[in-house]
Formats: sequence, structure tokens, C-alpha cells
Amino acid sequence: MTGSEVAVTGRGKWLRWGLGAAGVAGIAFGLLGLPGDLGPPQLIGLLGWLAAAVVLHDGVLVALSTLAGAGLKRFTFGLGTVSQVILRATLLCGAAATLVVVPLLKAQQEVRTLTVDEGPYALALGIFWLALVVLAAAAIAAVELRLRKAARASAHAA
Amino acid sequence: MTAALHRRMDQAGRFYASPVRGTRLTVVLGRALATVFLLCFVTGVFSHLLQDPPSWMVYPLRPVWIYQLTQGVHITAGIASIPLLLAKLWSVFPNLLAWPPVRGVAHGLERASIALFVSSSLVEVTIGLINTYKWYPWPFPFRQTHYWLAWVIIGSLAVHIAVKLPLIAAHWRRPSATAAMPREGAAAAAHAGATDAAGAVATAHSTGTSVSATATGEGAVAAASPGRWSRRGFLGGVTAATTLLVVTTAGQSFAALGAFNIFAPRRQGTGPQNVPVNRTSEAAGVATAAGAADWVLRIHSRSHTRSFSRAELGAMPQATFDLPVACVEGWSQNAAWTGVPIRDLLAAIGAAPDSDLRITSLEKDGFYRQSTMPAAYSADPQTLVALALNGETLDLEHGFPARVMAPGRPGVLQTKWLADIEVLA
Repeated sequence: MTGSEVAVTGRGKWLRWGLGAAGVAGIAFGLLGLPGDLGPPQLIGLLGWLAAAVVLHDGVLVALSTLAGAGLKRFTFGLGTVSQVILRATLLCGAAATLVVVPLLKAQQEVRTLTVDEGPYALALGIFWLALVVLAAAAIAAVELRLRKAARASAHAA
Repeated sequence: MTAALHRRMDQAGRFYASPVRGTRLTVVLGRALATVFLLCFVTGVFSHLLQDPPSWMVYPLRPVWIYQLTQGVHITAGIASIPLLLAKLWSVFPNLLAWPPVRGVAHGLERASIALFVSSSLVEVTIGLINTYKWYPWPFPFRQTHYWLAWVIIGSLAVHIAVKLPLIAAHWRRPSATAAMPREGAAAAAHAGATDAAGAVATAHSTGTSVSATATGEGAVAAASPGRWSRRGFLGGVTAATTLLVVTTAGQSFAALGAFNIFAPRRQGTGPQNVPVNRTSEAAGVATAAGAADWVLRIHSRSHTRSFSRAELGAMPQATFDLPVACVEGWSQNAAWTGVPIRDLLAAIGAAPDSDLRITSLEKDGFYRQSTMPAAYSADPQTLVALALNGETLDLEHGFPARVMAPGRPGVLQTKWLADIEVLA
């Protein structure tokens, strides 16, 4: 037990054991149910998807986001904390929307069903990013201007 | 080789270190993610039970929009889980690089359960999202895989909470020391925290303990270090991303957000008679049969059979009800449906109104060409053989010449292009 953990005793111990047991039961129920509905080739396909998800996330997504963060740190060093928050939050929002819309754009090419995937998603995503960038730029400019005014005022007072 | 791998892991750990990470952040993200996953699980199991009902199933028919609500919540919560899941995984990523990777049997089992948890969660939210686009680029059946993986995920969540409970309890509330830290101390502490975060990785590697448990500058790194944002800022960013995703997609399920619906695969109010379509007549191959002049709806039990032409159905007392068509993919649309109450048709052949029914479509193939309607629905006065939609003759794409509409039922079970209704013994 490290200093940042809380000792779990009495009812807490029972809760842990109960959760653990229920969890194992749930996992077993799910894993045992799969072969009942999926044939061997489908199970292998699912395993492939499970492995690919981890590789894609750990090997690609995390690396990309870390590099992006490092790049941001280098190029925005002079910005204050609030401006950093605005900038990075903006990029997070844009990235989340892009993650959801990119497969939708692919589906638009594959699916031809009335009233499904019919929107101008590429255009919507472009306008979404534009709006994010404009709002973020305006907010950062306002914050930085206010900080500079405050710094000048305190230097003048000193 | 082991030493070389150890050094590589240390290097990777320093590369991925961030003062924003910490156990408190992980707990906060975990709370939100667990809530959303639980919502998805409960609403998803409800949907599954409606489609594959066990003998003990109780069918909630009121309010009539109950399935519209639960399935809308299911899809919206699933979409909300995407940024939360990615943020949670980011917050604990350095733990993946801890050396040695397995310290014993119990630790190995824990890591295996986390690998299963992470991979299942990533696949589940991915196929769930892409399913709403009606695109199926995978080699396994969606519905069954999605259902069983849900159990794996919720079980893994319970195990994960059980294992981490001491850490969760310790970091459930914001530490008071951080809240009381003076601003001028925060920058120095944050710098120390940034060093501590990287140092914690090295320390964890040498002692074989979890990175998150040994990050000593956790309270200090709540404030930002130069060129970075703060932990609170990160949480604010994740919240903003989650909120924006929800707002720009939930309009397919909830009319109040319809004006902001720019990223959902469906829009309310589109399609023939202002109602979206799922399976088209072309996909079902029913255009000729549905338009046949000699079409009749056959209603039969063991002892009686009657056939009704569309004109004969239209001559019977009609009822109109506002019922939502609510798809398993989360989109829904309220509409006014007019037709003959099914229980009136059952009475016409002397069958009890609370009879289980087998309903068959004109469709020759397709998983949902036949559905079973439990007695709770057939007895409901608002369950119709619908002939009109929003005051107009039912469009071919919505099931002309007749379709079933029942309250609180998934859209895939509201059979279109009716051919036959059989009273089951």
C-alpha cells in the first residue's frame, strides 16, 4: 500500500470481492456467449479487430497526440495558461469531431440508403473547424491583450 | 536484452511523461466514463431484451416514447464515451511502459484484464458508431458481437474498480492541499511536478510499482507548467469536446437538438412523408408485391382465417395515434399513424385480444421479415395495422400497403409491407 492509497477494510473489502466476483462472472458470460453466435472465422475476425484496436490506439493515436502536444509546447511557449487551455481545448474539440466524421465520410461512399448519411458532412466539418479556429483566435487575442494591459499597469504602478 | 528493453521503456516513459497526468485526473475521467458505460449497458440490454425477449420479460408500453428515449440515450452516451475513453486511456498510458511488464501471477492477470477491457471498449464504441452509419466493414454479426462485448466490458469495469478501489477512494475528492496552494508557489511546484512526473516513471520502473501511485508531485501539477495546459484545463477541454459531440449528433434522436445536428447520419423530418426510412422497398424487393391490386392481409388462427383487402381495412373504424418510430440505431421521429387497431382485427376472427402473434412481411429474405409480437402489444389499443402516415396514404418506403405500429417497440420490429398475421396458440 503506497502513501496515495486508502486502506480498504471491512465493508470495503467485501465490496472489492463482490465487484471482482461479479466482474469475472460478467466477463465469463460475455466471452462464453460469443462462440454461441459467432462462427470460428468470425471469432478470428473479432480477435483481429481487438488486436488492431490496441495497436492503433497505443501505437498510433497516443504517439500522434504526444507529438502534437510536444509541438504545441514548442510553438506556443509564450502563451499564458488560459490561452494554452483555449488552444488545446479547441484542437481537442476539432480532433474529436474529425474522429467521428471521417468514418461517416467513408460510409457515405459505401452506403446508398434513402435518408442515411445524406448530409454535407465534409463541408460541415470544415465550417466547424473554421468556427473553432476563429473563436479560439479571438478568445486568445482578448486574453493576451488583457494580460499585457495588466502587466503594463502593474509595471507602471511599480 | 532485458536491460536494453528496460532502457527503451524508460526512454519511452520520459517521452510520454506529462505533468497533466495523475491519479486524480484518471479517477475523475474514470467516474465519467463508468457512468456513460453503465448508461450504455442498461439501455443496450433493454433494447436486446425487446428484440430477443426471455419468457419473463415485462414490456413497458408507456410512455409510448420509452424506447425512443432509451435508444436515443444509448447512442448519445456511446458517442459521448469516445472522447472520454480516449482521454482516460491517455491519462494512464505511461503505465503501459512500466518495467517489468509482468511482476507476478496476480499482476499478469490484472494486466490481461486491462488489455481485454481496453480492446473491447475500443472495438465496442467503434462498431457502435459505425453501425449507426449503416456501414458494416467487419467480418462478424454486429448485434450479437455488440451484446456479448458489452458484458465483457461491464465485467471488466467491475474488476478494474475492485482492483483500483484503494486508489479511487484516495483520489475521489480533490486534495485540500492543492486547493490551498498559493498561486506563487504553484509555478515552482508545477515545475517540480513536471520533473516528478518523469522521475516517477523512472522510480516506478526501478521499484516495479505503478506510475500513477508514485507520482509524487500530483497535487503540485494541478497548475500548468510553462508551454502546457493545466489538469483542470485538460478536463475542461475533454468536457467541451464531449459536449460538442453530443450536441452535434443527438438531434437525430431528440428534436430539441435538431437545429445543431450537423454530424449525425440521420436528420429528423427528412424522407418520404417527413419520416426517415431504414430498410427501403428496393432493398426488401417488395415493390411489385406491395403494389399488387390483389394484395390482401391474411389474419388467421388455428380455427379461423380471414383476408382483408386494403379497401376493407380502410372501411373498418380507424384510429390515429402519435407514435414514434424509434430505430435501434438511435434515430427516431414522431408521427401520426392512422389505421385499424390490431385487437379489432383479432376480434374479427374470434381471437383473444391478448394473443401472441407472428407477423410476416411481403419480403422474401431478410432477418426481420418475420417478427413475433407478444400479447402485451397486440392487446394495446394503440397498436395498429397502419394505413396512413401524417394524414397521407402510407408511402411505399414506409410500408404500403400496411405496416405494424406499436408503442414502445424498436423500429426493426414494426414490420412493414404486411402479408400475414398469425395468432399463436
